[in-house]
Amino acid sequence: MTADLTEVPSGRGVEPRPPVLREPPNGHPKLPWRDRLTRLDVKYTPYAFIAPFFILFALIGLFPLLYTAYVSLFDWELGADEHPFIGLENYATLLADDQFWNAMFNTISIFVLSSVPQMIIAVLLAALLNTALRARTAWRMGVLLPYVASLVALAIIFSNLFGKQYGLINTFLNSVGLSPVDWQGNWFASHVAIATMVNWRWTGYNALIVLAAMQAIPREVHEAALVDGAGAVRRFVSITLPLLRPTIIFVVITSTIGGLQIFTEPKLFDPAGGSGGGFSNQYQTVVLYLYQSGFQDFNLGYASAMAWILFLVVLVIAAGNFFLTRRIASTGENE
Amino acid sequence: MTTLTTRQPPVARPGKRLRASALLERPNFAVYGILIAFILGSAFPFYWSFLVASYDANVFTGDVPLIPGGNFLTNASRVLDAIPFWKALGNSVIVSGTVTLSVVLLSSLAGFAFAKLRFRGSKGLMLFVVATLAVPTQLGVVPLFMAMAEFGWSGTLGAVIAPNLVTAFGVFWMRQYIVDAVPDELIEAARMDGCSMLRTFWHVCLPAVRPAAAMLGVFTFMQSWNDFLWPLIVLNPEDPTIQVALEKLQSGYYVDYSLVLAGTTMATVPVLLVFIVLGRQIVAGIMQGAVKG
Amino acid sequence: MPYRSNRWVMALACTAALAATAACGSSDAGTTADGKVELTVATFNEFGYEDLLKEYEASHPNIKVTHRKTGKSDDHHQNMFTKIGAGSGLSDIEAVEEGWLAQVMAKSNQFNDLTKIGPADVKPDRWLKWKSDSATTKDGALIGYGTDIGPLAMCYNKDLFAAAGLPTEPEAVKAIFATWDSYFAAGDQFKAKTGDKAWFDSAAQVFNAMVNQNKVGYYDVDDKLVVDSNPDIKADWDKVTAAVAKGQSAKLVAFGNEWNTGFKTSAFATKTCPSWMLGVVEKQAGPENSGKWAVTDAFPEGGGNWGGSFLTVPKQSKHPKEAAELAAWLTAPEQQIKAFTSKGTFPSQVEALTAPALLEQTSAYFGGAKVGALFAEQAKKVPAAQHKGPASGQIQDKVFNSALQAVEQGTSVDDAWKQAVEGSQKAAK
Repeated sequence: MTADLTEVPSGRGVEPRPPVLREPPNGHPKLPWRDRLTRLDVKYTPYAFIAPFFILFALIGLFPLLYTAYVSLFDWELGADEHPFIGLENYATLLADDQFWNAMFNTISIFVLSSVPQMIIAVLLAALLNTALRARTAWRMGVLLPYVASLVALAIIFSNLFGKQYGLINTFLNSVGLSPVDWQGNWFASHVAIATMVNWRWTGYNALIVLAAMQAIPREVHEAALVDGAGAVRRFVSITLPLLRPTIIFVVITSTIGGLQIFTEPKLFDPAGGSGGGFSNQYQTVVLYLYQSGFQDFNLGYASAMAWILFLVVLVIAAGNFFLTRRIASTGENE
Repeated sequence: MTTLTTRQPPVARPGKRLRASALLERPNFAVYGILIAFILGSAFPFYWSFLVASYDANVFTGDVPLIPGGNFLTNASRVLDAIPFWKALGNSVIVSGTVTLSVVLLSSLAGFAFAKLRFRGSKGLMLFVVATLAVPTQLGVVPLFMAMAEFGWSGTLGAVIAPNLVTAFGVFWMRQYIVDAVPDELIEAARMDGCSMLRTFWHVCLPAVRPAAAMLGVFTFMQSWNDFLWPLIVLNPEDPTIQVALEKLQSGYYVDYSLVLAGTTMATVPVLLVFIVLGRQIVAGIMQGAVKG
Repeated sequence: MPYRSNRWVMALACTAALAATAACGSSDAGTTADGKVELTVATFNEFGYEDLLKEYEASHPNIKVTHRKTGKSDDHHQNMFTKIGAGSGLSDIEAVEEGWLAQVMAKSNQFNDLTKIGPADVKPDRWLKWKSDSATTKDGALIGYGTDIGPLAMCYNKDLFAAAGLPTEPEAVKAIFATWDSYFAAGDQFKAKTGDKAWFDSAAQVFNAMVNQNKVGYYDVDDKLVVDSNPDIKADWDKVTAAVAKGQSAKLVAFGNEWNTGFKTSAFATKTCPSWMLGVVEKQAGPENSGKWAVTDAFPEGGGNWGGSFLTVPKQSKHPKEAAELAAWLTAPEQQIKAFTSKGTFPSQVEALTAPALLEQTSAYFGGAKVGALFAEQAKKVPAAQHKGPASGQIQDKVFNSALQAVEQGTSVDDAWKQAVEGSQKAAK
């Protein structure tokens, strides 16, 4: 950002302070106490600022993480009297478990089917919402509605849509002479159906995040481009998008993490609401499998190992997406 | 960028400000059309829930008429009889309100430090925060319950609030937003004026991040409002949050959806209020940006 | 445990949370301020205990009872197993549903033996033998007092039967429901006449009933998995999958949305019907189908049971004796009849099965049938309790139900059998 964008504003913002007294207090001629205070301020305030977060996080958030890491090294049956230590055996078993790899494949397939269209639509939707709409608040909050919808209602609505025998989509396909789709049984169709649910629930949410960042773009940047005669599309591509980079990175990373941990939607998609992920595990995701191992088979050790393997996979994919995004959204300057 | 901004804008003479919206595109009918389609799709489950809730128990959820029936108030009063609705609503407001305030404030504080202040270990700590997001949380209920039982908190609202007081998501979000939304020069200027770090944060950073903070507030509130499994496990069922209370409407071998969805619809109202209040903040953010300029 | 030593952690956390909200309460020791013994009772669904617990408090002034009621069975059991895993937090009385009983029995060391701590006059023979046997471990420990049961009868759609030229009166259809062979044979006859309608709702629903009638199920008495060596299971499998191949199944997943619709559209002609299923049929088929469904006191090869619960007293309880006393009282015949009258939970005590309030119950929706007497009769036909292994529940609900669904959706019978056997081995590991 250039200096002329940031002249000290009048009105709100930084309050003017009385001139600093430079008179040293009694007996301390070297450094004025204020300067020393300022030094301390600069050096330690950052830690004070992050401390509340990290202390609370260490107390409450870290313990479950460490616990699952610990448990993953044991043959830990939920509620059993003894938990024999087995080292990395859970991990070894897991890597040889076909069901796990099937779940991993399903997870990545649903992730790709949902995240790519979701990102594109979210950015475009944000651009539409960033126009001079009437009743702006209503529109913005409107796209967030799916995020609050009750899961009970969603389960019924989506099974009414994607039902094999009585579903609306298949009824429609039948009426126009197309053959109905087996949304439950066919693995690809089930992934498409679940990705549709995911997109429906999360596109508006991501759009709002992008929108918030769009609004932070200083007015003068747009003004100047407008003066230069740049059209709306050009201004969007060459000004808005590059300036959105930190936010796009945020959205890409959080939706990679969220997408690979997908759980609620495939669980809702099961007609009986179970965590099986289809009769042949055709849409069982990793977290569904993890949940099944932990709370139905009570194999907490195995489920914990799965959590940590998934953690590694998520990190690798998120890092890959991060570098990809940085490259795509980069305008040559460094962050 | 410097070359661009030093030019004299002919539209806005120096000293006279444009209305913020004047810079935004004028939406045409196509924009409104697309948005209306989006909103209809987004709002449908709510309308549908209301429809089912406005009929009696015999309405068939697969084939609801599109005009509301006259039974909503009857169903609503059945909900009030069946579960401690107001108490649960109050509990949820306390829980979600506290969690939201805490997450927004602490995330802004930490996000500001990570985005704008230099200190040793800043990069590593930030990476650590993001990495913790990548661990699935489903198994956390067992150790969390052990911790809460050890603290003697189980059964209190504190047990629902405490684990959610901070989120890595919030810190990451505020950090990413503040990086560009709060110009370094603004902070330096405040420092030159003798502002302490805390004052700088309070008077420079916070006003500038209002839209992002409001957004985080909306997300956090809703997430907390909809949380089910953890409150179910850790709270006493006679003193529940709203989602735990609503679940009781689903007892029985068959579910009376007109009752369940009446409860669900009623429980959505406070969330919509939060939407409206915080939504205004998000819009106000644009004006803020214009003044900040 | 690693966190135990860190008292300061707790103090810090308390301070932090205090700043935000509530104070640090100390956990209760199971007694109230005025010295009463406090008992908590965790149930799900509708047990009909609301009034009973008040009655108990009135007659036992030193006891205060807190009812922890969850709506759905799944939520209740997940909550319960989380607390078993965490080692604390369970109620003094925890209800356990039949489908989860095997898993609870596998952790019987976490629960009190009610023959030891319960009132001396409460003997297992209060209950139907198969009911109390199913909650008794190999060592003779009684883990739960039986509450309700779900004796099986057959429900059928009279209109569809008439359309297929089958008899429609409850007495006349008994021959059809005499054995599984006669049942599937009638299904063939039905299919030949009606074409697109199905004979039963879902293969899994029929298969579960068949397997549970066998002497030996998925496990032998030594807890050895016998899925691929038990000829009865394979025989049942073959019969059901053959019927599926002939189009007898409506291929609807039980309790799913399409299954509900199936009742509405009369998609199938018969339904395995435990007592509590009557309410489901009535609700799902709706008033417009009133009088179309009937129920008869016959079930292929005798009888069976689906559903019902037990009251257990976990070892975590601080007042196991008082809890067992309350559980014994709640499951006594008089109380079972009261619960039946208020919520329709079918009693499991021998004596309660002769109560007039039960025998006189009728159902207008099912053409005025005397359903109370009918299911009391069916309850006596339930065969001896089959031994269940630790993973019996998952093998039935997840593995075999999924495999049969796969058959219904076009997977070859052999592949699905392989899926079932391998799945069972994995679940039992």
